Amino acid sequence: MGERTRQALPSVLSVLLSLVVCWMLIAFSRDTDGLATATAAYLQMLWGGVGDWPRFLDGAPITVLTRPLGEAAMKAALLTLTGLSVAVAFKVGLFNIGAQGQMLLGALAAAVVGAHVALPGVLHIPAALLAAALAGGAWAGIAGALKLYRGVHEVISTIMLNWVAVRLVDNWLVVGPLRGVAEAGASITGTAEIHPTATLPRLLGDMSRLNLGFVIATVAAAAVWAWLTRTRSGFETRAVGLGDEAARAAGIPVARRAGLAMALAGALAGLAGAVLVLGTEGRYPGTLGAPYGFDGIAIALIGNNHPLGVGAAALFFGVLRAGGTRMQLLDVHKSFPELIQGLALLFVAGRLIWLAALRRRSAPKPVTAAPPAPTAQVPHA
Amino acid sequence: MSLDIREGELLAVVGENGAGKSSLMNVLYGLYHPDSGEVSVGGKSVRLKSPRDAIALGIGMVHQHFMLVPTLTVAENVVLGREPTRRGLFDWERAVKEVAATCERFGFVLDPRARVDTLTVGSQQKVEIVKALHRGARVLILDEPTAVLTPQEADELARVMRGLVAQGRTVVLISHKLKEVLGVADRIAVMRRGRLVAEVRPSETSATALAALMVGESQRAVMSNAAATPEEKLASEALLEAVGFPAQGDNGRPAQHGGEAHLGDVLLEATGLQALGDNGRTAPRVSEKFPGGALLETTGLQALGDNGRPVPRVGEKPPGDLLLEATGLQALGDNGCPALRGVDLTVREGEIVGIAGVDGNGQRELAEVLTGLRSLTAGSGTLLGRPLKGLTPAEARARGVGHVPEDRLRRAVVKALSVEENIALGRHSGPPFAKGMWIDFAGRRERAQSLLAAYDVRPPEPTLPLQALSGGNQQKVVVARELDARPRLLVVVQPTRGLDIGAVTQVHARLREARAQGTGVVLVSLDLEEVLALADRVYVLFEGRVTGQFTRPEYDERELGRRMLGAEQAHG
Amino acid sequence: MLEILHRLLFATLDAAPALVFAALGAVLSERAGVVAVGVEGMMRVGAFCAAVAALVMPTPAAVGMGMLAGAALAAVHGFLCIRWRSDQVVSGIALNLVALAGGTFLLETHFGPNGTPPIQQLPPLHWPELASVPLLGALSGHAAPTYLALLLPLLLQGMLTRTPLGLRLRAVGDKPHAVATLGLSVPALRWGAVLGGGLLAGLGGAVLSTTVLDRFEQHTPAGLGFMALAAMVFGRWTPMGAFAAAAFFAFGNALRIGLASSAPGLLELVPQGVLLALPYLLTLLVLTFQGQRNSTPASLGVPYEQESR
Repeated sequence: MGERTRQALPSVLSVLLSLVVCWMLIAFSRDTDGLATATAAYLQMLWGGVGDWPRFLDGAPITVLTRPLGEAAMKAALLTLTGLSVAVAFKVGLFNIGAQGQMLLGALAAAVVGAHVALPGVLHIPAALLAAALAGGAWAGIAGALKLYRGVHEVISTIMLNWVAVRLVDNWLVVGPLRGVAEAGASITGTAEIHPTATLPRLLGDMSRLNLGFVIATVAAAAVWAWLTRTRSGFETRAVGLGDEAARAAGIPVARRAGLAMALAGALAGLAGAVLVLGTEGRYPGTLGAPYGFDGIAIALIGNNHPLGVGAAALFFGVLRAGGTRMQLLDVHKSFPELIQGLALLFVAGRLIWLAALRRRSAPKPVTAAPPAPTAQVPHA
Repeated sequence: MSLDIREGELLAVVGENGAGKSSLMNVLYGLYHPDSGEVSVGGKSVRLKSPRDAIALGIGMVHQHFMLVPTLTVAENVVLGREPTRRGLFDWERAVKEVAATCERFGFVLDPRARVDTLTVGSQQKVEIVKALHRGARVLILDEPTAVLTPQEADELARVMRGLVAQGRTVVLISHKLKEVLGVADRIAVMRRGRLVAEVRPSETSATALAALMVGESQRAVMSNAAATPEEKLASEALLEAVGFPAQGDNGRPAQHGGEAHLGDVLLEATGLQALGDNGRTAPRVSEKFPGGALLETTGLQALGDNGRPVPRVGEKPPGDLLLEATGLQALGDNGCPALRGVDLTVREGEIVGIAGVDGNGQRELAEVLTGLRSLTAGSGTLLGRPLKGLTPAEARARGVGHVPEDRLRRAVVKALSVEENIALGRHSGPPFAKGMWIDFAGRRERAQSLLAAYDVRPPEPTLPLQALSGGNQQKVVVARELDARPRLLVVVQPTRGLDIGAVTQVHARLREARAQGTGVVLVSLDLEEVLALADRVYVLFEGRVTGQFTRPEYDERELGRRMLGAEQAHG
Repeated sequence: MLEILHRLLFATLDAAPALVFAALGAVLSERAGVVAVGVEGMMRVGAFCAAVAALVMPTPAAVGMGMLAGAALAAVHGFLCIRWRSDQVVSGIALNLVALAGGTFLLETHFGPNGTPPIQQLPPLHWPELASVPLLGALSGHAAPTYLALLLPLLLQGMLTRTPLGLRLRAVGDKPHAVATLGLSVPALRWGAVLGGGLLAGLGGAVLSTTVLDRFEQHTPAGLGFMALAAMVFGRWTPMGAFAAAAFFAFGNALRIGLASSAPGLLELVPQGVLLALPYLLTLLVLTFQGQRNSTPASLGVPYEQESR
């Protein structure tokens, strides 16, 4: 078994196990025809994510493929970005639970720049993206600084920062100072609509909601992968994460690497917020319902913290989630894919169990050579 | 191995690091389980499944790293697990009283109400001892108890131990500090590589003789280490005799023959029995047969020359320019106490400077100061042309300081990275490992492969994670990396600890090679024999000060030993 | 003025118990060295199971079912973290996600988006002799959990500081190896603490759906588990401290709600969102400036590896 296979196997097995468990959950929750319903629901989920191929082959228009695929890609883009955020922090040895808060700040920054700054199209989108990345990066930077200068554990500080962000943004800024002005008397929730120049262009026109966000996420994954594996600073970052004392002895600026990686993690989460606002929502809605930031933790861990693994996991769960709505046809709630994802993460958490099981299968225990027999005598007590 | 512990005695178990002392004691305390063999107490065979069993049998242990809960009070730590209660509640006052009584009974001065993290290290150790005694320990095992103590505290501990023995308790003292052992023990057991090699009485031995037993300078001892099976052992003894080495005659005067025996021993491991015979008689043939053997040959000849008779080294530059000149170096240890208390040191091009001393006398901290890992609190120096003060690890590397640290897995390598990535570590910013901001994969692979071949790393597979390699091969990777950087000053700490003999030979040879090319080498080792075999000059460190300085022809092992134990410079 | 204070106190006492129980559960688990990020998830399953159980059994028994459900989730945590030495934070997060998605799925599948059907709430208990006393009167008229929430912190504090078990639990969170060398079982102590923490977190959740509300709602507990973590940190990992912090947070919340209705002008100056963020901001400040008096259990989150071989 190759090293790469051995690394990836627990994740793959976890996802498969989770699919099976959830399949049984549907099957056994029905009084009649459980097995058939569960299988049908899974099929609907599949067609809802990768396109309804049976109908397309029967002559339906191509939009039965592009619409679902576009939805899946957009969900995958968000999961990729937040997953990368968590993975990058992991690479330097930090656990970023704060992707949710960083994403929130990024979304707000993108919404503000998108709505309140007038710029030509070529500049507007980059400016909004940059603002989002900076906002997310700064928010993560707080946790990084607390860790480096005050020794505050990043797990607890990012949890707190998440809620500070939620409360300040959702319960104050968005309903107060930044609330959109009602147009023509209609009251709206959330911030003002962004300018068309800031809207991420759709790649397939009316055929799908697929937009530039997917490209951004894909490029981000490739760039993070290239940075980590191909550049000096990426190498230093990984070295710090895997052995900070050895990195220090090798002359690597450990604190700077950790701080920058954490800021980059925040920037990626911030970009996720921007993609959501500029691509799908058009403004910061009343509340940023979906916990993509927390999903990012699951995606990162299922993807084994490898940028390409994150991309793969995000695509897979993007497809599942896009297909989740189709499961409603069979009375399976659309949140079902999230359950699959959660269970998969739980199984990945038991990574050591998988590894132990795999080891037991692949190699019978070697016979240990017996060292000289120790005997010792102790006076009676 | 087998060991008897008699009632009411103070038995010392001595041996080098890794000789198996602590493992043996952890077996006695039920923490480790023997693969075979048995423990009997008072003549009855017992099974120690956990410390609970050991405690029940009256065995107590004071661990090298204290097993105290810092946030609890002395009394709470002592009674933990057998707390006095009153109506189901923990009776704190009674615990304090009980502990106070135990302290008084054995003559300890401790405040049971004090929180443990407010106590000095010496007092914490007393808490550990009281903890064991409070549980009714008849046999008390102390694992390296003085490693962390000041000399005054160590003296007091010695009194405490004698006092316990006087009260009929049995004390087992594990140590590698010979002076204190000689001063306090009734009987001394010497361990080496998992075996009991001798049992002596302090009155019948000396520090030098004990040291010889510990490091196994005698030929017989070396042979029994090297030989993995009885057949091999026989064969190698026969071979030794065949090439004219005396197979007997050890303890009395080991130093003169030590080098030669060592040579044979080393070759046995490195190149096999066949090569031993060949090389012993006709060295040049080895280099023909074994491409790697040429290296070993130089090693051997070098060691032969070094030991005993000073042979002028042909083809080597004499020591040259000053690389390091330092005066009055002071630095704190990890525990915040002064570890270096004013060290003067010079290192020149093309010499190996040995730093000898008993473990924990500031050698480690000195190496860290020279590599930028520890900051100075006082003193000054010039390292490769610029001040020593404010040195960072990156700056040290930029100036040309190489470092082979003691704690390999923590400091030298990142075990989850690949072998080639580890070879690049610390040098990853320049050629052949990087081009601009990008990693140069081809250059790195090429360099890694050539180094793995040159240093005989097995398997020579640059993409393997480093942790897949054996300790010896990991160390070869580290040495290869550091020497490949062509350092002007190389700081090596315990470079051969835990390595098999083949790897030891190679590391030694490489250090000599570096010297021959003009590198100044600072060699810190607890293995006196290693220092004497390699170094041109030796500084002896004791409690953070230089207590002796020796140059090669004047090596006097006895005098060195005296200095290591703190004897002042009476005539030196 | 007194009237206002009375109302505030009353509201605080009504709302605080869930937070208090969850915070105590977190304290118990973390003092033994096991990270309690999964409290939110344990509260959610506790709330769900109690609400569903109350449809078929008396509410007090349903609360017990909620506790058991919390403990069941904690058992998964224990299995992964104690038995298999998995990353405790990862395990906790995973449990949160599973509880979030699983709760939604089961709710939507069996009851629909509006939550479970209403159930019989735990009845308020009245103390007529107290009711007329100024301020103290606010103590009267709450359901049983409120009184338990006043009592339990004391009991738990007593347990941790005054009993042999408490001593051992504290020791195992600070230095498990010391405990092991004395022949005590580190896994057993940690299992006990984790399961106990699960029971308490489950109780916190059950209280939400049986006294604060009368059903399980989609978003329960809406981040209350994380606020419990904040209370634990704010209270420096002691039961009484966590209780005080939880009560303080609950009081702040009651104050905010009171102001929103009685003096909306004041909220122009200090927006609600800022007040809502205050507990977390304060916790961050405490962490930032705790300095030398670091009260985090020393071995928190470090898997214990038995030294035997």
